[in-house]
Amino acid sequence: MDSAELLKKLSECVEMGKVNKDAPFPPAMKGMDGADELTRQALEMGIKPIEILNDALIAAMEKVGEKFSQKKIFVPQMLISAKAMNASMEHLKPFFQSGEVKRKGKFIIGTVAGDLHDIGKNLVAMIVEGAGWEVIDLGVDVKTPKFLQAIAEHPEAIVGLSALLTTTMQSMKNTVNEIHAQYPNIKLIVGGAPVTDAFSKEIGANAYAHDPQSAVSYLNAQVA
Amino acid sequence: MLNKELHIKPEHLHVDIENILKGMGMQITDADSYLMELIDNSISTGLQLVQPKACFAIFENPQFDLTKKTITIEGKIFKTGAVVCSMLKRSEAIALFIATAGPQIENLSKKEMAAGNGLEGLIFDLVGSELAENLSELLHLRIAELVNTKGQNVSNRFSPGYCNWPVTEQLMLFELLSNMQCGVSLSPSSLMTPVKSVSGIIGIGKNLRRASYKCNICNDKHCIMRRQNS
Repeated sequence: MDSAELLKKLSECVEMGKVNKDAPFPPAMKGMDGADELTRQALEMGIKPIEILNDALIAAMEKVGEKFSQKKIFVPQMLISAKAMNASMEHLKPFFQSGEVKRKGKFIIGTVAGDLHDIGKNLVAMIVEGAGWEVIDLGVDVKTPKFLQAIAEHPEAIVGLSALLTTTMQSMKNTVNEIHAQYPNIKLIVGGAPVTDAFSKEIGANAYAHDPQSAVSYLNAQVA
Repeated sequence: MLNKELHIKPEHLHVDIENILKGMGMQITDADSYLMELIDNSISTGLQLVQPKACFAIFENPQFDLTKKTITIEGKIFKTGAVVCSMLKRSEAIALFIATAGPQIENLSKKEMAAGNGLEGLIFDLVGSELAENLSELLHLRIAELVNTKGQNVSNRFSPGYCNWPVTEQLMLFELLSNMQCGVSLSPSSLMTPVKSVSGIIGIGKNLRRASYKCNICNDKHCIMRRQNS
């Protein structure tokens, strides 16, 4: 198998969500090498990490995002693809650390103060990471000073705020106001079940993400 | 005041697979056999891990102030908002309740998430929510059975955090159930731990009935329930 074929196969594994040889999903690829094995083989073959990242992994996740937007696939398939992508990224970690390969940018994410729900925030973090971004996850019940501290440490980052309760949307509003008061140029994305586009505009957020893919689309547009 | 802790066994609980799929934006026709099997197995695991606990107390002679949109129970004034106050105004008594599916399913969901298994984590989270909701429904039915024997009916149930009833009022609700909270505690921001828990209020009276309403009684356009029911 030449390098082009290998990258194509790796890309297919990520797109279809084939994590490794032992993974039972997708049934049609049972027993075949997955993203884990193929990334190792690609590196052993001498393919540059940046090529693996751009030509196989990110290309695959773009197709996944497109299919999700067209409602051809749903959240479960996206998550399986993100898992395959992350299996592959494990092999690329040393190259990120050495600076040979760079991520698209940094994304700080957290559930706002007073809200303990983390599932939506975790899904967004997983899929954004799978799309090639470095994710700094601040957790749940994140008070504004913690967001401000993370921004001070990563001033180039884009920030995502999540809320699940109508009653914690006020916290979101306060955090957006306080972040923008100190860092007017920081881009803020808001999301979560009760949040709407109208609410995001009302509180002065830069974008509203109604699902993980729309967060990825906004982030990618910022570095395009 | 009547206090009661219910003994509900896991085998009395039920999780509807269609609701799990709905939680992921899907219908049954969108799911392949792999996903269906995964959900099925997760429901079985959830039913093994669930630690159902439910308790309620009934308080007589609540007072309603429709102008101030409050309900007073045992001297505590709940600012429930217009919807809850108006839906319960004919109550002769009020049941306050707490129901929990316990911490184990939630912990398993977090563990799967931390291991990078987003799909498994999401499904366990949805299973936990469904079990807590199912448990609340069983509790609601038991209260109805109890009061039906006295010729009374029950209203719909309402929870702090919904229908413009501030979640912070959960603190007072817990105070009134001080000796029976089913192991559920409140965070400083009034959220429950374990997260897969439900607390709320049910009206009791001869002139009440459970309505098959959805969201037309409430004007909270941001509410998660409105999106789920739309």
